[in-house]
Amino acid sequence: MVRVTATTEPRAGTARPRRVDSLLVLCALLLAAIAFQDQLTGALDVPAVRTGATVFVAICVQAMPFLVLGVLISGLIAAFVPASVLRKVLPRNTSAAVGVAGMAGMALPGCECASVPVARRLMQQGVAPAAALAFLLAAPAVNPVVLVSTAVAFPGEPAMVLARFLGSLATAVVVGWLWVRVGKTEWIAERALQRIRRPPGGSRWLVFAETARHDLVEAGGFLVLGGLTAAVLNVVVPPAWVSSLAGQVVLGVLVMAVLAVVLSLCSEADAFVVAALSALPLLPRLVFLVVGPAVDIKLVALQAGAFGRSFAMRFAPLTFVVAVVCGVVAGLLVLGGVR
Amino acid sequence: MRRETQNVVLALLGGALLKISFTGIYLRYVKPSLFPWLVATGTVMVVLAAIAIMRDILHAQRNAEVSCVDGAHRPPRSPWLLLLPVLAVFLAPPALGSDAVNRAGEQAAAPPKRTSGLFPPLPRGDAIEMSISEVVTRTVWDDSGSLHGRTLKLTGFLVRRDDGRHLLARMAIRCCAADAAPRKVLLAGHDPELESHAPDTWLEVTGTVVPGSTSPGTDTTPTFTVESIRPVPAPDHPYE
Repeated sequence: MVRVTATTEPRAGTARPRRVDSLLVLCALLLAAIAFQDQLTGALDVPAVRTGATVFVAICVQAMPFLVLGVLISGLIAAFVPASVLRKVLPRNTSAAVGVAGMAGMALPGCECASVPVARRLMQQGVAPAAALAFLLAAPAVNPVVLVSTAVAFPGEPAMVLARFLGSLATAVVVGWLWVRVGKTEWIAERALQRIRRPPGGSRWLVFAETARHDLVEAGGFLVLGGLTAAVLNVVVPPAWVSSLAGQVVLGVLVMAVLAVVLSLCSEADAFVVAALSALPLLPRLVFLVVGPAVDIKLVALQAGAFGRSFAMRFAPLTFVVAVVCGVVAGLLVLGGVR
Repeated sequence: MRRETQNVVLALLGGALLKISFTGIYLRYVKPSLFPWLVATGTVMVVLAAIAIMRDILHAQRNAEVSCVDGAHRPPRSPWLLLLPVLAVFLAPPALGSDAVNRAGEQAAAPPKRTSGLFPPLPRGDAIEMSISEVVTRTVWDDSGSLHGRTLKLTGFLVRRDDGRHLLARMAIRCCAADAAPRKVLLAGHDPELESHAPDTWLEVTGTVVPGSTSPGTDTTPTFTVESIRPVPAPDHPYE
């Protein structure tokens, strides 16, 4: 006796032309995979492919729980948090709202995959895009789990934790403020802003389940795309790059920033990876930690999926530049130099 | 991709995650503590897919179509990519091995420094079992010489360098295999026997560390004088 339609708009009707049915394609693909299993396993015999495949599966398996956490929170917001509550909580002034949203990022203890669906849902519920974007950037970088793991990774350098916190928070807030100035709503795909209307009488739990399912299926595909790219680069980019940078600060900062984008490490693990690069001074390593959670390949893929390609193409370079600058400034102030 | 197909793919992905969790294959990719999260994730995926399929069936019986959340003007294509991890899990690529060690090059990341007092004396007895990470950390940072003259038993996989040298290595991970870093010792002696094993063979090697064969800044691969070699099955936890 349940009757829920999550949108007011009925489907186009029965006049759709029958094309190749995706369910049939799926069955064919699965059968082909079973039939050619030996050949596929044979492809894994090439050592580089095998290493890449392992890294790819690892990135997907590691990120899926966080993505699921994100879509569940996003579903809860869609079903249970009316837009009016969010409007009341956030300051009316957008610039102030950006600051509040940045600080609110401390409350979502996950890595970057979780924050994309949540930020998109906040936008749909009427939060100003700039504030939602500040939350998107802050959440994976300034939450307690990430800060604690940074402290553990740099046992002799408590200043790294403070520098990372300030650098990341500044990145989120500055990008938010820039978006208030120069950002245009039309860059964001229409579907990302469309409000979900709950039909009267519909069960909130069904809205929750349907929203979460929909977000998961769509964002999951983009996560896979990002994971695939990151895995390929992870295998192709020679790590010897890094060790040759010991003496060069400017080049070191730039290469570490690019490496953060390319490697797409989880923000809870990245501190341990750079802590091990002891040949480098602290500043380039801090820039790695500030850039990584704000912009990396798997995040850009997720953002392109959630907000549209024309948004991602503008947002990623903007964030990259701001994150590098904020990382360097925070490092110089808190660490007191390059070190 | 049609909504019905999306649900099937989602159920497959959830099932794949549950499968690698309960068979222990997940240990090739992530650290053990992720287990409950993986089970929860797989379950959520299967449940969400099941709810959607049930709803579709109920609606189909009443001859009405269920519409998607965002109006579904055109079905999204991105869910097709979800099949890739399903296929990859089906093929179950192995844990990182000698290729990853060789790829990481000569320069190994130094293990984190431990402040003094955190190197307890070794237990008495012959052939103490020790992780390669511990060996590397002690040779690099412990200047009390606790490994001096002690016979150790190490387990790792065999790595053959291009120049024919042999290493015994383990990968150390923090979150997942994407952040893996090699921990390794250079094997000295017993070359013909080492030649006879293929790279990636798991070995238990007994021997002693050559004192002073590492230094904190530059070289973090201790030299290990081999006394005996024994092939062993791959451990359940491939990473350290």
